[in-house]
Amino acid sequence: MADLLNTATSGLLAFQRSLDVTAHNVANANTPGYSRQVAEFSTVPGQNQGNGYVGNGVQVSTVKRIYDQFLSIQLQTAASGQSRLAMMNSLAGQIDGLLADPQTGLSPALQSFFNSVQDVSNDPASLPARQAMIGEAESFLQRLKSIDTRLRQIDGEMNVRLEESVNEVNRLATSIAEVNNEIVLAEGRTGQPPNDLLDQRNRLINELSDLVSISTLEQDDGAVNVFIGTGQTLVLGSRAEALGTVPSDFDPTRRSVVYRTPAGDAPLADAALGGAIGGLLEFRGAVLDPSRQSLGETALGLAVAFNGQHQKGMDLYGNLGVDFFDVAAPTVLTSQQNAGSGSATVSYGDVGALAGSDYILDYDGASYSLRRADNDQAIAMTGSGTVGDPFVAGGLEIVVSGSPAAGDELLIRSALDAAGGLSLGLSDPQAIAIAAPTRSLVDGNNLGDASIGPTEVVDITDPNLQATAVIEFTAPGTYSVDGAGAFAYTAGDPIIVNGNQFAIEGSPEVGDRFIIEANIGAQGDNRNGLELSSLQTTGVLNGGTVTINESYASLIADVGNSASRIQSNLDAQTVLRDNVESSIAAKSGVNLDEEAANLIRFQQAYEAMARVVAVTGTLFDTLIGAVRR
Amino acid sequence: MRVSSLSSFLQGVKLMQRIQSTVYETQEQISTGSRILRPSEDPIGASNSVTFREALSRLDQYDRNANAARTRLEYEENALGSINRALNRWRELALRANNATEPVESRQQVAIEMDQLLKDLVQVANQTDGNGRYLFAGTRDGTAPVTATTGGFVYNGDQNQRLIQIGDSREVFDGDSGADVFFNIRNGNGEFRVLPNTGNTGTGIVRTTTLVDPTAYDLDTYTLRFLDPVNYEVRDSANAVVTTGSYVDGQSIEFAGTSINIGGEPAAGDEFVSEPSRYQSMFQSIQNIIDTLRQGTSTQATRAQLNSAVNNGIQEIDLALENVSEIRTRVGIRLNAIDGQLDSNSGASLLAEQAISELEDLDYAEALSRLTQQAATLEATQASFARTQSLSLFRFL
Repeated sequence: MADLLNTATSGLLAFQRSLDVTAHNVANANTPGYSRQVAEFSTVPGQNQGNGYVGNGVQVSTVKRIYDQFLSIQLQTAASGQSRLAMMNSLAGQIDGLLADPQTGLSPALQSFFNSVQDVSNDPASLPARQAMIGEAESFLQRLKSIDTRLRQIDGEMNVRLEESVNEVNRLATSIAEVNNEIVLAEGRTGQPPNDLLDQRNRLINELSDLVSISTLEQDDGAVNVFIGTGQTLVLGSRAEALGTVPSDFDPTRRSVVYRTPAGDAPLADAALGGAIGGLLEFRGAVLDPSRQSLGETALGLAVAFNGQHQKGMDLYGNLGVDFFDVAAPTVLTSQQNAGSGSATVSYGDVGALAGSDYILDYDGASYSLRRADNDQAIAMTGSGTVGDPFVAGGLEIVVSGSPAAGDELLIRSALDAAGGLSLGLSDPQAIAIAAPTRSLVDGNNLGDASIGPTEVVDITDPNLQATAVIEFTAPGTYSVDGAGAFAYTAGDPIIVNGNQFAIEGSPEVGDRFIIEANIGAQGDNRNGLELSSLQTTGVLNGGTVTINESYASLIADVGNSASRIQSNLDAQTVLRDNVESSIAAKSGVNLDEEAANLIRFQQAYEAMARVVAVTGTLFDTLIGAVRR
Repeated sequence: MRVSSLSSFLQGVKLMQRIQSTVYETQEQISTGSRILRPSEDPIGASNSVTFREALSRLDQYDRNANAARTRLEYEENALGSINRALNRWRELALRANNATEPVESRQQVAIEMDQLLKDLVQVANQTDGNGRYLFAGTRDGTAPVTATTGGFVYNGDQNQRLIQIGDSREVFDGDSGADVFFNIRNGNGEFRVLPNTGNTGTGIVRTTTLVDPTAYDLDTYTLRFLDPVNYEVRDSANAVVTTGSYVDGQSIEFAGTSINIGGEPAAGDEFVSEPSRYQSMFQSIQNIIDTLRQGTSTQATRAQLNSAVNNGIQEIDLALENVSEIRTRVGIRLNAIDGQLDSNSGASLLAEQAISELEDLDYAEALSRLTQQAATLEATQASFARTQSLSLFRFL
């Protein structure tokens, strides 16, 4: 009977334990990352009574966590991928709408500017039209700057986000190491799994995998080691390593991620990081920088081409045109690793040759070479790098100075900062050069019927550009220039004198004269204005094949494409993550109906056991009664 | 399959959120009327629509340019009409002055009217385009192009014309310089000019002059000299005798490719000089006649001088009229070109607008039925969520 009582008691205890576990499950039904637990029953082995083994009841051997290690490793991978894309998507969303918006986009302002140039060409002497052109140029620059500023802000936020994320990684690594320690101690002490600690560690690992791509390895003692990047140890048992951010080699305003070791910082490749941190870095490299580069090139294309043409014109004061836009020189950044003191002064040359990337200028101890920063493709340079004969390559003119050491590198930001560095070069409406600097005329005493076409400036640097020149026919079919020379005349062929090109047509008589002179007083002349407004439809970028507006349109398409690709990849990756998460939920999640059923089950079992105790009592009473009588 | 209560709850919420976001997106499309809300939804479409919008804005600007050019050309056309009328009136007066029976006083009247006509003509030449820019000053349009000085008429403008862009590859001149309209006109008959020497004592009159053989004409200055009333000789600028002959009234004298018809009775020693035509303003042509008229016609000889001068003047004014009508034709062609280009621009604008509309505009019927469907799905999801979440065994315990 004592056996019966013991057996009943074991049942009562076991079912009570089960009810506890069930209650714990119900209580944690809404705890994220909680794995349901199950009390595992086993029979207490029976004793040989001579006539066989009689069982001794039931016991709870362990409380098991329902958990699939493989699913949780799948989740880590899926979560890193999804977080990486989610980060990129949220950042891309910020610039996606910025560029094409009719209110904030650049294109409408660009059109208004060119329209105002045409208005001035229609009435070149009109000061209001000229004032409007300056106003439109200003609002174009303002629009350009506001887009560039927004992109810079996003770039600036990246450093903050990166630092926060790295701090978060370090915090999580420390926590995982601490929990590892507790788990090892708990398991060592009891031999039983500390389920809730295991869940807690899982949650920390999942959070970590959101930030950075990781791999995990479970040890026999219950600890989990965590690796990041290309196999660097982040958590080893109860010890956590740390990541940090340092200013990048060239640009102190940009931070990159390093792995901190006692021996010093080891750089981590951006591509190997994954997770939200990888997404940040990838967005900077794949979307943000190319966008700023492209915006800069668009701005440069306009500014440099417009300046070039503006200098070929003459303003209302009779002076040659100055720069309409002020263009800041490309930024040159020196690597922190440089041993020498070499530096470079860079200016823009043929912006049509800009390659869409930053450049790196290498010094190998004897000579310089240039390559693209994004794919290391070499770019051939001509010239010798001196002031008189600069290196010319990729749309830039480079003058080197100082004494570099072998292996030194300079980073040249070809267009990244160009949009922000643009400003208006003049504010006086009368200084807009709409007229051509010279004019041609037929002498009033000419006997022949030959006519002369308008002059066109082909060499603005000619010192005698605006000097009066007389073309005189000394014989039929022969002319002299300013009384010198004898040149053969072919009707309609271009003639170049003092940097001016023109053509004479018809049959001049001997003694006929044609005069080229400064275009003073021609306030109604719009020849340079027409050339300026034709830049709207002329290819000035990408080797002269792409117009300014086309360049901007392709920037919109590029950003749109990136954003749309990121979005669709994110959708796919989210489905993957959802699938893994629901598989885990299906296996480890708490189902309240199931728990309710279990409550009923264990309650009934408990009641049955209690009945057995009652039966034991009755049996005992029966026996006592028999003896007393 | 096991269902986790938390995950089934979260899944339901996520589903509803997803449908809600599509509902709001559709709603945003409907309220903006735009199919593309962000470039990422249709990157190529967004980029194309930027290109089309640029084309549209450019076409609008071309229309503005064309209208500005048209206004100025209409001003010019109007001015050329006035010039034409003035020149024709002058021609009538000149014929009247040439009439032998015309009394002296009447000639003075003619001179006065011609002077008034000349002043009017200069005024027309100095007209502005309504914006205060001179019509006939070329591109030096801030200065009045014609000033009369004691030495003659001075042109202050230049010989340039302004081009106005009215289409992607179409430009028109929005005017003509005063040099072309008034100043660079050949005097005489356009090739050469023959005038009697002012010292002539006979009554020989230059009636007509023509170029008969352009290849034989060498632009030299020739002097036709009457040795006596019947015999004449022609010497070139090197004083070499080119030809000699005997004079018959009304019979043309030909030399060096030119033909000169002289009438009347030239006296011995009278000279007629043939010079190659030079540029001369129409104002100067008129002024020359006025000056001659004012000299008076007291003798037969001075009357003959007047006749020769008027004959020459009429030739010059005919050339001026020809020049004006040629320029009017050109203005007409430009105005036609502008009209044609405006038509073609509006056609191109329409195409661009259609393209933008196809790229950007929302199909409302489709969007509204999509919204209805999405809203229905959302309602059903909400209802089923509430229903499934209320299922629990605990309610029966």
